[in-house]
Amino acid sequence: MFRFLVRRTLGAAVILLIISALVFVLFYAAPRDPARIACGKVCTPETLELVRKNLGIADPLPVQYWEWLKGLFVGRDYTSFGRCDAPCLGYSFQNREPVLDTILDRFPTTLSLAIGSSVVYLIFGIGTGMLAAVKQGKALDKIASSASLIASSMQIYVVGVLATYLLVDQWHLLDRANYTPFTDNPAQWAQGLLVPWLVLSLIWTANYTRMTRSQMVEALSEDYVRTARAKGLSRRTVFFRFAWRGAMGPIITIFGLDLGMLLGGAIITESTFSLQGLGMLSVKAVSTNDLPMLLGVVLVAAGAIVVFNIIVDAVYALIDPRVRLA
Amino acid sequence: MSLSRRNFVIATSVAAAGSTLLSACSSGNAGGGGGKTPNAGATEYTGAKVTIGTAEDSTGPAPEIPGAKKGGTIHGLAPDDFSHLDPQRIYYAYNSTVALLLHRCLTGYKIDSSGKQKLVGDLATDTGTASDDNKTWTFTLKEGLKWEDGSELTVEDVRHGFERSWATFITEGADYAQRALTGKGGKWRDAYEGPYDGKHLDAIVIDKAKRTITFKLAEPKPDFNFTLAMHSYAAVPVKLDTKEKYDKKPVACGPYKIKAHTTDKSMVLVRNKHWDPKTDSIRNAYPDGFEFRFGVETLDSTDRIIASQGTDAYAVSIYKGVPAERIQKVLSDPELKKRTFNGLLTGTYFYWINTKRVTDLKVRQALIHAWPLQQIRQIYGGPSSGEIATSVLSPDIIGYEKFDVYGKLKKPQGDPEAAKKLLKEAGKEGQKIVYAFPQDPTYNKTKVVIENALKAAGFTPVIKPIDSTSYYDQVQQIDNSFDVMWGGWSPDWPTAYTMIQPLLDGDAIGNGKNNVSQTDVDWIDEGIKKNAVIPDQEEAGKAWAALDKRIMEEVAPMIPEMYQRRFYVYGDKVGGAQFDPNFSATLLYKTFVKA
Repeated sequence: MFRFLVRRTLGAAVILLIISALVFVLFYAAPRDPARIACGKVCTPETLELVRKNLGIADPLPVQYWEWLKGLFVGRDYTSFGRCDAPCLGYSFQNREPVLDTILDRFPTTLSLAIGSSVVYLIFGIGTGMLAAVKQGKALDKIASSASLIASSMQIYVVGVLATYLLVDQWHLLDRANYTPFTDNPAQWAQGLLVPWLVLSLIWTANYTRMTRSQMVEALSEDYVRTARAKGLSRRTVFFRFAWRGAMGPIITIFGLDLGMLLGGAIITESTFSLQGLGMLSVKAVSTNDLPMLLGVVLVAAGAIVVFNIIVDAVYALIDPRVRLA
Repeated sequence: MSLSRRNFVIATSVAAAGSTLLSACSSGNAGGGGGKTPNAGATEYTGAKVTIGTAEDSTGPAPEIPGAKKGGTIHGLAPDDFSHLDPQRIYYAYNSTVALLLHRCLTGYKIDSSGKQKLVGDLATDTGTASDDNKTWTFTLKEGLKWEDGSELTVEDVRHGFERSWATFITEGADYAQRALTGKGGKWRDAYEGPYDGKHLDAIVIDKAKRTITFKLAEPKPDFNFTLAMHSYAAVPVKLDTKEKYDKKPVACGPYKIKAHTTDKSMVLVRNKHWDPKTDSIRNAYPDGFEFRFGVETLDSTDRIIASQGTDAYAVSIYKGVPAERIQKVLSDPELKKRTFNGLLTGTYFYWINTKRVTDLKVRQALIHAWPLQQIRQIYGGPSSGEIATSVLSPDIIGYEKFDVYGKLKKPQGDPEAAKKLLKEAGKEGQKIVYAFPQDPTYNKTKVVIENALKAAGFTPVIKPIDSTSYYDQVQQIDNSFDVMWGGWSPDWPTAYTMIQPLLDGDAIGNGKNNVSQTDVDWIDEGIKKNAVIPDQEEAGKAWAALDKRIMEEVAPMIPEMYQRRFYVYGDKVGGAQFDPNFSATLLYKTFVKA
């Protein structure tokens, strides 16, 4: 296990390095100049040059990339911002604050959104999927299957707006989406995020219902399940200890990737509910040519996916004895 | 206000965070409503009527607003945080909306409830005294001015606000004063290195005992006191200047100070107890504080303010008008309409005619006759989206005169017959016209009516859509291959020089410059020079209006399109909400919480 983790962590670091270099190159491949925005309305060539120096983008691309990499380990000094301590992801061109500080400030929002909705959609998605599998071909299965088909084809920007209009504006049942740190007030934290959780999980629940159902149906028809039944094991034992365990493997894999993606920022959900998480941050970074911020968010998003991949692989081995970590 | 449309476009892209660049500048966003908007919002607009106030007008406190009372908190909603708080780094209009609460300049605009404005002394006792043929300007500081820590605001602090513009970390502010003080044009940075090594600018002389500050300019500037009302020239305390960090936590001398600020999320302003209303004839400052929330998209904030629940009843949109999707709802509901205000943006939208390519005056006049302004306005949202323009100068400019050389108000739908007649006289029937515009949902629609109108008038139109992010870069090339180009211009202060000079002076022709029509006419250049030094602004205004009319009659270098209008809605517990004619936003310092 230890060797597996070391190997995968090193691999992850290489992947992140490649991604950061790619973002750097792609950013400059587009015909746009981040200095132009910071230069303000009267932008003389002299001022533009000054801005480039201030932002640390006057050097050739490889030098800039090297400086950025170095900053991660030894920190960096900027003429117009001051000292940025290691691990320094740079200063945002746009809000002129260290990128890491901003990301750490936004991450709890995204984390809360991801964790909360995951709990809801896992419980309801897997639960409904299992019920549908048990009652295969019956009314309950048909209702669950069609409802999940409808729900999974819905879009957050439609359901989100609708839910806010009905649940918040018209019926006054729930609070308007807003983020209060969990440590400040757990009740307000949950109240403020309830609408986004419900909307996000409505769509994801549907996906997990469909996935669980098909996995369970498949597992229930496997030879080992039939064997277990033939041995006279109880229906409950067969269902949970044999079929369920076998069906969970692929679901956990998908869930790991989904959670990783959500932690990178749910762009549409955050925009729909005006929640200031990593998703909104990445949209803003793109629209304002904010390279350091963009790099930071992309690395966090990629890092989340990579890390959860490793976790999934490790957990997989624990669940499924057929998989052994070399 | 903005100097260059090009730069305004970039500013808007920052503020709009991801929305199509030009949509925020278009009427579609500002006040449009998809063509079926009721006429309800349109009002005859005669301009902000800026005049120059007296010392008495400059003496505080600001006139009381009937029914207003002190206390409570006004909530402000906006999609984006302010990009700068350091006054010397403030140029974009949306930053000025908060700067009005925190910072003070030598002069400022006193705005009455009808939107009429007077230039008055803000930190200064009056609007200054010019001498030496308008090359020397002297201002005296009011008594009792203090910073938020209780220390005295001195003439040194005022001078510091100018001198720190030279610091290398300040690159975003206006540069009119720097150019005027050094006489070195765009190379003003070469003349001085900033105040941080103890050196001062020779062109600014202060007298601490008399509390006077004198500016010695390299050239006559009769409207220099208007320049000084820009937040780029606000005072900064010498002793409390934290240089590059000042942008995050500036020191206030206005009625409010920053209590808390989480970038891109929220800002809390509380009373600055050291601000003395007796020193301020401009600001009322009724609320005990303001709470701003950022990251709220405009559609969301509009819906919240319409619903007016909880704290949203006390909310205003700081700088974003009602979006096109909601304008009809807002204007067709009489109760809701009571909770709106509106005003014209400061500038003019128009179409440049490239006079180097379209050399025949009659062809240019035919283009103006042919242009389908009514259909264009319909696409922008109908009459509520603004007034049809007939001049280069906008109604906000001192001296603005309404004239209609080409009968566009009588025939806003275009007059193809008149156009055909002129084309025939010129012997240019069927002339090819290349029309360039920035690609954007709104301009993709207006292109169709323009193409049809050109065909109907006997032209052969060629349509050139251009990527909106590089639009101004392309049309500002003097060897471009376009005949007619969409554009617009907002002035930085309401004198005509700020519009006519950059748009029509022969010196303003060049790559990246703003005389896109490449108008190079001797009498225009002479007129600009002559009018620019008329000391009395009312008199100068008349001369500028006459020049504006003559340009439209004898040169016809552009097709004026619209003076655009923007609507705002506010919560039902908000009083005193009105349009800020300078920054096209909510005038925060006049708002109050209703009982």
